[in-house]
Amino acid sequence: MTPHPRLALPRHSRRSLLTGGLALGATMALPGCAYIRDDVSVDAPLPTSAKAEIDGDLVYFNWADYLAPKVLKGFQEEYGVKIIESNFDSMEGMYAKLAAGNQYDIVFPIAKWVVKLRQEGKLRAIDPDQLSNAGQVFYPGSYFNDPWYDAGSRASIPFTVYKTGIGWRTDKVSSMTGSWRDLWNDDASGHIFTLDDQDEALAMAALLLGYDVNTAKASELEEIKKLLISQKDVLRAYSSDDINDMTGGDAWVHHMWSGDFLYLRQGLANDPTKFDFEAPTEGTPINSDTYAIPANAQHPGTAMVFIDYLLRPENAVRNMRYLYYPFPVKDALPAFAELAKEVPACNVEISDLENENVFRLLSAEDQQRRAAVWTEVKAS
Amino acid sequence: MTTVAAGRDDRGKAPRSAQRTWLWAALLALPTAWMVTFFVSSMAIIVLLSFGRTTNDGYPAFALRTDSYRAIWNDVYLELFVRSLVYALATVAISVLIAYPVAYTIARHGGRYKNALIAAIVVPFFASYLIRMYAWKALLSDEGLVNSGLRRTGLHVFGLSDGITFLNTPWAVVGGLVYGFVVYMILPIYASLERLDGSLIEAGKDLYHGPVRTFFSVTLPATRPGLYGGILLVFLPALGDFVSAQLLGGANTYMMGNLIQQQFAEGQNWPLGSALTVGMMTALTVLMVVYLRATSTQAREG
Repeated sequence: MTPHPRLALPRHSRRSLLTGGLALGATMALPGCAYIRDDVSVDAPLPTSAKAEIDGDLVYFNWADYLAPKVLKGFQEEYGVKIIESNFDSMEGMYAKLAAGNQYDIVFPIAKWVVKLRQEGKLRAIDPDQLSNAGQVFYPGSYFNDPWYDAGSRASIPFTVYKTGIGWRTDKVSSMTGSWRDLWNDDASGHIFTLDDQDEALAMAALLLGYDVNTAKASELEEIKKLLISQKDVLRAYSSDDINDMTGGDAWVHHMWSGDFLYLRQGLANDPTKFDFEAPTEGTPINSDTYAIPANAQHPGTAMVFIDYLLRPENAVRNMRYLYYPFPVKDALPAFAELAKEVPACNVEISDLENENVFRLLSAEDQQRRAAVWTEVKAS
Repeated sequence: MTTVAAGRDDRGKAPRSAQRTWLWAALLALPTAWMVTFFVSSMAIIVLLSFGRTTNDGYPAFALRTDSYRAIWNDVYLELFVRSLVYALATVAISVLIAYPVAYTIARHGGRYKNALIAAIVVPFFASYLIRMYAWKALLSDEGLVNSGLRRTGLHVFGLSDGITFLNTPWAVVGGLVYGFVVYMILPIYASLERLDGSLIEAGKDLYHGPVRTFFSVTLPATRPGLYGGILLVFLPALGDFVSAQLLGGANTYMMGNLIQQQFAEGQNWPLGSALTVGMMTALTVLMVVYLRATSTQAREG
């Protein structure tokens, strides 16, 4: 290869230095480029809806285990397509994947993320006229004809609704008052859990103090911080693993989501009467999940067909019996009322939806101010 | 081998080293590229982002701001750093106490089962750290297997019949860290004990009369490099860990790792997370230099 060693050595090192330098530059520049960017536009137009006809396999992006496997299997068999599934473990994670340009046909954003994705032009319109079962969610007087997070319901279809309340062990604690103050209940000291979720924890304290659940005012946040820190004397931990905390016996009083509670009581517990749930009188946060189709979806037609399939009342009922979260599908509501009949507090009424306790999309500064307070609470 | 031999025959000494250089460069290219891509460049991005800003969509962009560095001077964060340091040191201490006897027994008395025993220690670590933490949760919860067992024994004397609160305590967090990282202590200590000449210990026993003095005068000094290596390998990941505190910790066991992780997730403040990372790396580098200097002088004297 190299006839003269004395020449060869420096030549190799020079060349390798050069290629090394180039490789270094390239590898540093490529990922780095992603951060040379400016504020994103927030009044992007909404791309038009696709037709509901099969145009390929469905690339599906959801929380893990968040639809009944039976229902997914039924779709694949009925339409002869495959569902290619991947999962996210947080809304931030889902958003990051979409923002990086990954292509999915259907995603399941929480309400305030619909606002964000739609205004940034990351969603495609969904025309209800294309869906034979649209009447199940959009009917005269339906809250979802014009929900707060999606004007005219043009880019999303409602999936589930839920509220946040308090679940407790009736065999351990008897002194529950129906207020958020129960999360300070001395009788359960050392067995109280608050959700490890910034919005939920701040909202719980805000409701107790009579503030807006989305407050970003410095003075109100300061009071919220003090209140939450005062809870630490009786608090066992911050955890969103509410179901396991309750089944493991660590939690006697747990700040928890209605659907998780219902799954715990009706689906897991040997003795359901040991568990009860309350929706505190100061008000409860209400949230909803949705179906949405990203603007860059490769098979939006299949996604439309899939949404239509999920809106069939029998499929909604199957999903509800698997997830224990209510689906606002008209003909499936009686089945949920049946499921929740022993704990009516878990049911979400239309009147619940019209309250103000929804988590809105805040500016980055407001969001960071709230995050700083939550960080200090957890770190104190 | 043949080319090296041929090179020597035909062209004397220099070509062999040239070929060797070429060979080594080729062998090193892949790991170097790997390190540059995934380690150096991500490190550089972290440093750059620590001067960055957050755009209106909650994600970071490069900029030239220093507010993140001003924000890290917060008493609460300092307290967290001290807490993490204490947990990491406790983890190291407990790991040494567990790892040394284990490594010693296997290396000195393992006989022909040595490799099988080491494999038995390493194999459980093929399963994800996260999965093993979840298993701990199931075992140690208030109504879990261990506590149900304790209640059944009815050891009223020690108050054990009420069960023990294991989870969500500092003990659980440190326990999780020890469990997660103890293998990094066992292996280097085992390696240095393995290399230790048995006759040294025999001689030590003759000289010092007794196993305890022999241990402290012969065995321990001879295995110092492995011990120091193990200490570093356990201390560093334990200090930055967030999984143990997240899954086993309570309301008062938040660590630096959790704080940083939070900034990249829900907090949507990558610049602050990056500044905290850079600050922590700086503090650790100082600690490391001090540690390495101290241990190398000690090793030279010992």
